[in-house]
Amino acid sequence: MIASPVISRVQPLLLVIENNNEDFETFQRFLRQSSLAIPVYRCINGDQALAFLYHTHPYAEPEPAPRPGLILLDLNLPGMDGRELLRRIKQDNELKLVPIVVFTTSNNPKDIEACYRQGVNSYIIKPMDFSLLKRSIQTLLDYWFDVTVLPKNFL
Amino acid sequence: MVEQTTENTTDWMISRGQVSDTAVESLPEQSTTDQIFDVINGEREPIHTPGSIQPHGLLCVLSELDFCIKQVSLNAANILGTAPENLIDRPLSNFIDGDRLAEIKACLDPASEQTNPLNFSVTGDDGVTRFFNGIVHRAISGEIVLELEPIAATAKRDFTQSYRNIKDTLAKIQVTKTLAELCNLIVKEVRQITGFDRVMIYRFNEDGDGTVIAEDKQDNLETFLGLYYPNTDIPQRAKHLYLLNWLRLLPDVNYQPSPLLVGEAIETTDPLDMSHCVLRSMSSCHIQYLQNMGVGASMCISLIQQQRLWGMITCHHSTSKFVPYEIRTICEFLGQLMSTELSVKEATQNLHYKLQLKATQVQFVNRLTHATDFLQALEESPDDLLYLTGAQGAAVCEGDRIALIGKTPSKEDVTNLVVWLPDRFNNDLFVTDSLPSLYPAASAYKNVASGLLAMAISKTQHRYVLWFRPEFLQTVTWAGNPDNPTHIEADGSLTISPRQSFAAWQETVRLKSLAWLVCEIEVAIELRSLIVDVILAQTDEMARVNLELERSNMELDAFAYIASHDLKEPLRGIHNYSNFLMEDYAAVLSEDGIAKLQTVVRLTQRMDDLISSLMFYSQLGRTELSRQAVNLNALVQQSIDTLKISQPQKPIEFRLPQPLPTICCDRSQVSELFINLIGNAIKYNDNIEKWVEIGFVGSKIVKDGSQVSHTFYIRDNSIGIPSEHLERIFEIFKRLHPPDQYGGGTGAGLTIVRKIVERHEGKIWVESALGEGSTFYFTLSEAVKL
Repeated sequence: MIASPVISRVQPLLLVIENNNEDFETFQRFLRQSSLAIPVYRCINGDQALAFLYHTHPYAEPEPAPRPGLILLDLNLPGMDGRELLRRIKQDNELKLVPIVVFTTSNNPKDIEACYRQGVNSYIIKPMDFSLLKRSIQTLLDYWFDVTVLPKNFL
Repeated sequence: MVEQTTENTTDWMISRGQVSDTAVESLPEQSTTDQIFDVINGEREPIHTPGSIQPHGLLCVLSELDFCIKQVSLNAANILGTAPENLIDRPLSNFIDGDRLAEIKACLDPASEQTNPLNFSVTGDDGVTRFFNGIVHRAISGEIVLELEPIAATAKRDFTQSYRNIKDTLAKIQVTKTLAELCNLIVKEVRQITGFDRVMIYRFNEDGDGTVIAEDKQDNLETFLGLYYPNTDIPQRAKHLYLLNWLRLLPDVNYQPSPLLVGEAIETTDPLDMSHCVLRSMSSCHIQYLQNMGVGASMCISLIQQQRLWGMITCHHSTSKFVPYEIRTICEFLGQLMSTELSVKEATQNLHYKLQLKATQVQFVNRLTHATDFLQALEESPDDLLYLTGAQGAAVCEGDRIALIGKTPSKEDVTNLVVWLPDRFNNDLFVTDSLPSLYPAASAYKNVASGLLAMAISKTQHRYVLWFRPEFLQTVTWAGNPDNPTHIEADGSLTISPRQSFAAWQETVRLKSLAWLVCEIEVAIELRSLIVDVILAQTDEMARVNLELERSNMELDAFAYIASHDLKEPLRGIHNYSNFLMEDYAAVLSEDGIAKLQTVVRLTQRMDDLISSLMFYSQLGRTELSRQAVNLNALVQQSIDTLKISQPQKPIEFRLPQPLPTICCDRSQVSELFINLIGNAIKYNDNIEKWVEIGFVGSKIVKDGSQVSHTFYIRDNSIGIPSEHLERIFEIFKRLHPPDQYGGGTGAGLTIVRKIVERHEGKIWVESALGEGSTFYFTLSEAVKL
């Protein structure tokens, strides 16, 4: 289940909540091109992500899913969308330790304001342009997994 | 038939109230003109207590119970063969039968069936027996009055003859259809029955002026038909007498009045009230007037409708003429019959007119109900609008718009009038038949608007309907000059001469229109309430539609937003995967293959721009305006700086001829507005020396003072816009040039600009000359801060 074996240094898990396969594949492509070996787990919507985070079915057995070091969150998701998921996570005393980066196409000022109000750690608008997108993802990965220190992964 | 006797009163109808030359001369030299006019106008003349009678009969006042003669007219010797002084204090029983005395008593008893006249034979002191029609009544002042009219044997009339006359006339009256037919019939019948030279019918209008509406006369006489007689002709006191008495007779204009001899015992009491006396003497002024008119005898029958003097039947004869009591009774009866018939005829006529009005009104209001534009709907029914009030012109005003129908003052005049009007409305109505006397500026257009009937439908929205009537001067043909014929003599004194001629005199009634009739004003009132109902209903409907529209607009905006978001997702995929292809398969792809993929990428970018514009546009409509005080100088400078950064290679001259105001608006939207407009000015410019001028041309108070609207402009020396495209440039995604010219663009900029202007309750328009430049004007409203 857990992807990307550690290569150079043990990186915390990156939980990507993204329903669009092509977008996820694009993300993975740029991740692969990065020098960082970051384990990634993908959920396609809020419900699945909550189950993953709370170790509920189907993540209860045989071994619990690891706590991610960073969550990359798309806002527009089927079922429970990113806005609601963000609210749930930030209301949880334990989970709110995990930094969340919103990575979305929405440039709606309301979304931006609401997300920061909920305590989001970063809000990145997916650029349309290919090279800009590449740069955004690379910067994001470098910043969070190379420059910053993420909270300890306590299982 | 009323029991009360018919009696004479002064025939004021055609009296101008002039006094004779001799009367004026007889006034003391120091007499003021006021006093003269008192005599003239007759208002103070005690016409009901003249103290004398016409001498063709005898009048005596009898004591209660014993019927002794207490007052008697001085002509008693002529009429009774007994000197008046010999009659005073003698009982009436000395001269007539006891049976007759009982009849007199019965006549005074309202419960009795005894009616006037009583046939008397009276034997005077000379022993001669004479025959009379006796007419008994109790005077308003209380006395018992007996009047005797001699019966000439030749004048005696057969009752059956009279009955046949009445029956014939009645049958004819019943088949008349219109008021005019009725009047023409009555004048003919009365003339046939009485034998007068001329019989006519006057009708009074609302002001009390009389018009001759029917006439039957000897062929050689000049016609009076259509002549006007002013209200001042008839003093109020005389009008009162007309209502008391249905008929008055003046057998001889040249009579010598016969005064009453009053017994010593009652000399100190008030004079006899002769209101009901058939023999009552007439006003000298009136006599003089008739004499000047060439009238020898006259008779006058009142036409009364609902206790109001509707008009009268007036008979003239060139020589003296006595009309026996029985004939007078028939005439009086005809007068009463006509009076009752008047209501029917007028009601029929009115009903017909009112039904027509009603039908017109209903049609009219129907059209209004289905109209979307109030002003246009009124305008489209010009004939109806004029017909409803009998006007010659109308103006319909709504806000600054004015529509003119028929004969009206100019638009500018109406605009000014409408400014003057609002304070004059009483219950949303203003009616005058003499506008120039209230509003002097109207003198200039008196020929179309001396009369004004105006209704306010909404004063706040400046919705008015105005009806106009022209000055009414050509049509009044007065019976002689209606002004008092005063003359200033050489010594400066004022003298009054009676009119010598009754030839028609066309008066110029200045600055007055025909009066607005009550029914016409009522139509206006009713129309107003109907229009208000329609407007209220339309307002309700409008509110409902607006709500619906707002909802559907919001749905549409939401749809556009969601749709554009969803559209972007696959677009991103196409974009990214095309790039993957180029990255991963660069080795196997030919140059042409790479170029085609680059095109795909370029197109996805363009599509993304379009979708982004659509999203932005839809957001503009959905987000609340966040109004704040914005210094436009700073904002425009920022916009210019932004543009300079994005297009650093282009040298542009920015002109700001005057400082811009600080207004209350949505900063980001207005910034977007200026960036778009200034950006366009630069973008569509082929000149080497490009310039853009940003300024404003004025401001005005709108929304009843609650807001200020500024008019801004952005002028440039750009390529200009062909006039046929001036409207289309605001359509979304409408571009006038291919995407690869003038820096591309989505074609949403001006649509966004217009949306921003509209959200600020403003308007945008453009003036442009091809090859010379364009000027975009727009207004922005801001709430006035108190």
